[in-house]
Amino acid sequence: MEDSVLTFVKFDLQIFALSWLGLAYLIKIYQILRLPQPREVAPQQGSQELGVFYSYSWLFIPWSMESTRHHLWRWFEFAVYHLGAGAAILATFTIPFAPSVMTRNVSLTMAVLVTGAFMMGVLKLWRRMVSPDLRLVSTPDDYFSLAGVEVFFLFTVMALVTGSPGWMKAYFITTAAFLIYVPFSKISHYVQWFFARAFFGLRFGRRGIITPRSA
Amino acid sequence: MAEEKNIVQRAKEELKKRYTRNMAVASSNLCVHCGMCIDQCHYHKATRDPKVSPVAKAERIRRVMKNEHDWLRSILPWWVGARELTEEDLDRWVEAAFRDCSLCQRCIVNCPMGVDTPLVMATARGVLTAIGKAPQILVELADAAISREENIDMLKEFFLEQIKSMEEELQAKVDDPGARIPVNVKGAQILYVPLSGAHTIMPEAEIFYHAGTSWTMSMFEASNYGVFLQDQVRAKRITERIVKEAERLEVEEVVVTECGHAYTTSRWEAPKWFDRPWKFKVRSILEVMDEYVRLGRITLDPLRNDGRPVTYHDSCNLGRNGGLFEEPRRILHACIKDFREMTPNRRQSICCGGGGGLVALQDYEEVRLKAGEPKAAQIRATGAEAVVASCDNCRHQLGQLNEHYGLNVNVIGLSELVANAIVPRRVSSEAQQN
Repeated sequence: MEDSVLTFVKFDLQIFALSWLGLAYLIKIYQILRLPQPREVAPQQGSQELGVFYSYSWLFIPWSMESTRHHLWRWFEFAVYHLGAGAAILATFTIPFAPSVMTRNVSLTMAVLVTGAFMMGVLKLWRRMVSPDLRLVSTPDDYFSLAGVEVFFLFTVMALVTGSPGWMKAYFITTAAFLIYVPFSKISHYVQWFFARAFFGLRFGRRGIITPRSA
Repeated sequence: MAEEKNIVQRAKEELKKRYTRNMAVASSNLCVHCGMCIDQCHYHKATRDPKVSPVAKAERIRRVMKNEHDWLRSILPWWVGARELTEEDLDRWVEAAFRDCSLCQRCIVNCPMGVDTPLVMATARGVLTAIGKAPQILVELADAAISREENIDMLKEFFLEQIKSMEEELQAKVDDPGARIPVNVKGAQILYVPLSGAHTIMPEAEIFYHAGTSWTMSMFEASNYGVFLQDQVRAKRITERIVKEAERLEVEEVVVTECGHAYTTSRWEAPKWFDRPWKFKVRSILEVMDEYVRLGRITLDPLRNDGRPVTYHDSCNLGRNGGLFEEPRRILHACIKDFREMTPNRRQSICCGGGGGLVALQDYEEVRLKAGEPKAAQIRATGAEAVVASCDNCRHQLGQLNEHYGLNVNVIGLSELVANAIVPRRVSSEAQQN
């Protein structure tokens, strides 16, 4: 029989935090969409649609940009970090709402992914502290977000591996705290990412810079 | 103090006017300060100075934007780096936007997030121009272009005299007293817009002559310093001179000379400023020459150019911002024997450091030449003896880099190479008969 605190943090608290996050994102998206945007009217030389597709797909193609081509390790680090983050977030849904999916093997696989992300996070944090280029532009939110996500990853791994109520509570409380904090922090970058990549694809696709040019 | 408040207030109002959807995204938490853009910038490549990385430059503006728009701005501004704008900030913006950024777009192309840092820098330029902090020489050059239209009747006679003298030169060159450099020809197919100076008129006139083109030359020059200032009012007025001329002469297309920003402005940006669609299309002379070569309207013999190895510099505006990558290369392959690519090239080309109006800013010459160091290294690595640049600002900067870094190269325009390689029509048709 699950204790009432764990039930509360697993369900009620998560639903509240998720609703908060959803509302905050709706407001953010509304704020972006209500702003004016000059429209491209020059006759197009390439495909805007293809441009947007390419723009989104570049993230998965490390050789598409010189920055990732020359810093392949950074791309790998990014990939491992976000895969682990995805697994950690997925677990916040599957543990309470689809417990039958969480077999021992699934839990351990997820724990491995999140451990990878945790290790990459340590590297990210270290780099931010030692690189003069990054230190110059870093804000307290940069350090806090990275460090906070590390704590979240750690609790995720412990919850997945042990399944103990104590770690589960820590995991779900951290998750809820993060869901509430995310809209105010740089962690919310993925909302604007969809807009930014679309804008990039529209312009650079239309001009035939990242897409084939029509005659 | 009151004046300072006034200028800061005006800057804030100008920022607000420029707060578009794209700008909101570019100045938000989208930038995670990952640093992937840092070594993509030629300023940073040349100096390794953390203050000139794209993210550091944009952050100066972004932090002020955050102070207006970030959700934590009123309770924890320091937490997200938000700061109140001061006049000292504006002075630092001048350095960041006009001196330490040529708006080359290399950072956005290499940003995994798609942060539009050039837009942030361009916005800063627009704000600084509006509050009177832009470099004066750029303002004067933009105003001079506008006053040319106002005084065109006075200047016309002198202009036509110059053209007459160039026409005589053309006639001697092509050995045809009937060869013309036409001006004000209604119904011509092409309105060709050059820059000031014969170097953007003579080679093109020769190419048009041999291709049998129906053309007329613009009374105005293609360059648009309003764009460097990000001053849409001035930029529109400068473009409008050519639009009105094209409409009056009822031409089918406006062809812009070898000039990066003039092409991108006329082809991609300016149509947004007008509330009516244009009745003509806009192309670069590169596209026209490429078409002539592909369709056989001109015949080129690479042996007519000396056999020196040649490399091509992708102007940021023509290439990364305009989409003209293959046209110049097809032309080059047709008119020279030994073509060598720089690495990286095309979309990933490194800026020469002269874009964004920087070649006109003498005060920043030292910084500009330092920023051109990566380009100089690229050129040296090719072993080329000539560098082709299809942008006048790039040509100017590359010429200076040549001297400064002792590259021993000749910097030339593509149309010049094409004009050199043209097989005269008579010879060409004789050869075909044989």
